[in-house]
Amino acid sequence: MNLGASVRSRDWDEVVDALGQARVAVLPGDGSTHVPELHLNEPRRGWAAFRITFRAMFLEEWRETVDFAQARQIILFPLLLSLITAVTTIGLQFLVGTGAAQVSDIDERTFSWDQLRIGVHLPLLMFSLGMGTFAFKGQEAIMQRTGSKNRLLAAPALQPLTTSAAHFTYFVKDLIYYVLLILTPIVAGMSVGLILDEAGLIQTPLEWSSVFWTWAAMATTLAEGLALAFLGSVLWLRGRPFTWLGPVAAVAVGLSAGVGLFPWDMALVGLAVQRHHALMPLLFGIVGAGLLGALASSLLVDDFEVKVTSKKNLLNPAMRRLRFLGTGPLRLLVAKEFVDLIRSGTMKKMTVSYSVPLLVLLGMAWLIDFAEAPIPINLLSYAPFLGFFGFNFYSWLTILDDPDFMNGLPLRVPQLLRAKVVVYFLATSWISLIFFVLMAWRLDEWAALPTGLAVMFANSIYIVALTAFLMGLRPNKAIFDGRIMFWFWLGTVLPLLGLFLLSFTQGDVELYGNWWERVSEDGLSATATAYDLEMVRGGYLGILSISGGLLVGSAVLWALIDVRWGKKPFEN
Amino acid sequence: MVLRGVLIWGHRSVGGMSDRQLLVDAKDIGKRYGDFVALHPLDVRVHEGEFFGVFGPNGAGKSTFIKLLTGQLRPSIGRIEVLGIDAVADPQHLKANIGIVPESESPPSFLTPPEFLTFVASLRGLEDVEGKVDHWLSWFGLNEKRDTMCKDLSKGQRQKVMLASAFIHAPKLLFLDEPFANLDPIYQRKCREWLLDHVAKGGTIFLCSHVLESAERLCNRMAIINEGKVLAAGAIEELKLDGETLEDVFIRLVGHTIEEAEQIAGTDEEEE
Repeated sequence: MNLGASVRSRDWDEVVDALGQARVAVLPGDGSTHVPELHLNEPRRGWAAFRITFRAMFLEEWRETVDFAQARQIILFPLLLSLITAVTTIGLQFLVGTGAAQVSDIDERTFSWDQLRIGVHLPLLMFSLGMGTFAFKGQEAIMQRTGSKNRLLAAPALQPLTTSAAHFTYFVKDLIYYVLLILTPIVAGMSVGLILDEAGLIQTPLEWSSVFWTWAAMATTLAEGLALAFLGSVLWLRGRPFTWLGPVAAVAVGLSAGVGLFPWDMALVGLAVQRHHALMPLLFGIVGAGLLGALASSLLVDDFEVKVTSKKNLLNPAMRRLRFLGTGPLRLLVAKEFVDLIRSGTMKKMTVSYSVPLLVLLGMAWLIDFAEAPIPINLLSYAPFLGFFGFNFYSWLTILDDPDFMNGLPLRVPQLLRAKVVVYFLATSWISLIFFVLMAWRLDEWAALPTGLAVMFANSIYIVALTAFLMGLRPNKAIFDGRIMFWFWLGTVLPLLGLFLLSFTQGDVELYGNWWERVSEDGLSATATAYDLEMVRGGYLGILSISGGLLVGSAVLWALIDVRWGKKPFEN
Repeated sequence: MVLRGVLIWGHRSVGGMSDRQLLVDAKDIGKRYGDFVALHPLDVRVHEGEFFGVFGPNGAGKSTFIKLLTGQLRPSIGRIEVLGIDAVADPQHLKANIGIVPESESPPSFLTPPEFLTFVASLRGLEDVEGKVDHWLSWFGLNEKRDTMCKDLSKGQRQKVMLASAFIHAPKLLFLDEPFANLDPIYQRKCREWLLDHVAKGGTIFLCSHVLESAERLCNRMAIINEGKVLAAGAIEELKLDGETLEDVFIRLVGHTIEEAEQIAGTDEEEE
């Protein structure tokens, strides 16, 4: 006889022994809950689920981008990319030396086509490695789903969709989104350059046959980077020993390729596609990236748990350590940001992600020094770039927590932005310092270290202040806003370029001579002449002036944050 | 009939129970995080046509209970079978056939209500998706918000979208966690009436709440849990001692420590 519903509760220890095993084996269900007359919905799986989810995710991504940047700026962004690429296409002849009179040693002072190819694919790989940590994004989406913001990446918690399917779809969606919004405008810009060439208005060594292959090759590199970062993030979440497997393998592969143990083609398939214009590497790269993405997805487990953990109070100790920030809300906000960083486990992830580009830079410095490349790069050339990586770190800081709750507190957005800039500086300065000292040691340029540090920190502060001023709490979305990116480009590239070029007047000038002066006079036909002390002095003063200017600029931006963000609500 | 730590509900409140189909059958399901036991092992059996309420103070384990039964959490021990589906082995199939409204979750921020409802209906392989979406948008009075992104809706409107996403495939079994929290009184009543009608037609509802008024109005059976353990369960009238209100019952049980509550249950058993 059926007595109706029943609930029975027992003590944990009654049911489970000390080893965590059930004292009495729990038998599988006997199908007694099967309702014969009930038609059960069969959830969409495989391609059908992918199609439905992809459509919704693409829409979600587009909406989120437009919501931040407004439609006008969204169109401006690819236009801007096309314009820059078109200008670059025109400038290609000078970059590769076909625009000047050919002399025997011209190749040494211009870039070879292959160097240009690496120059395109290596940064693209770095960018995609930074953007592809989908397992982390998924985990954040799951954690944040009970807040006011929710993403489709968290849909598997309630909907008939597996975590693997959702993440794989997200990976493909991101790849296609970047190809459409970034790579296609770049190729369109190349085409504009070619059309101008055919009209006889300019000259470019580029050929129409390169357009498709450049697009395909860049898409391959992008896919490879996204897939590798995806796999790395999945391995990291699976815990030890996988946590370290990803970063160690990435550094090992990078270094092996760097010292020539195997050709770059094998590590960077997109580069092989670009070099050989061949279908096989293209297929291998795209299918391989797809398979890597699928492997990463399959390693994910359905985990929608919000872990119940007890933690000691970190806020008060953090507050005590931050006494030097005074007694105002800045100290409190910085302390809160640090607690978020530590508790979310992001501190480790961010430190690794901040260190990887620096490791690459260190490797590059070593390679250039090792190969005695005829490029007048020295310690001061690297200093501004170390500061530039601050953008990534700041972006992470803005997605740690949903700041909506602050709308009800006596706080303003500029206060939080400033707190994030301070956190960035406190959290990364020591890493940058270590890397820069390592570089000084590697290049044996100790004398340039104090100036280099000043340049690096000035850049670092400036870049983050500029990012905070222009992008506020949503830098990840601002990268698709053409207007913001134009100002960001202008605000970063000009000082960076200035410092980079002026750095050539310093360092091992005895070897390279007055390279800068000669180039400015004779262009690409320049030849080294006598060592010029005045030029070195002038260059040095120029570097210090720009760095000082950046510090002043940072102070101005720091103040202007109030004007731009003072009346905005808290949202990221 | 009350046993120590076990309660079996009698026939009194729901007639004809012996003919009803078993829909939920869970054996020894428990959840533990390290040393912290979120839910002590439970056996649960629920049949069609029941409006079953799980009540308890904040942090009692109600949401964990519902998440385990709906495949949102993997149990540390035990097995769960719902509608003939193993909830641990195939949560995707289970989610296609039940409706879930979590305590505090919004629909995806950057989709509009019809887009989100189309997404959830399509994943379940429903027919006439457009018709169903239109019906539920009208039912919840969201027609004017068709083109508004969910992030720009009020809390109550977002809750309506979540309820619509749980109702859209007319599931036989619904799991609702504080479903009326942000609804205005008009829609609270409308939803209550729909849910009661659904149960009258053979549907089954699991309701988690700490609002006792909901229990009195809706549930024919309820369990009171605290600190991850069922303190008492049964038809509401069976839980009340002389002249007690449901609030008195709740405070009597939850206001004590677990050991004291168990002692009370043991005393009841001896008395019987």
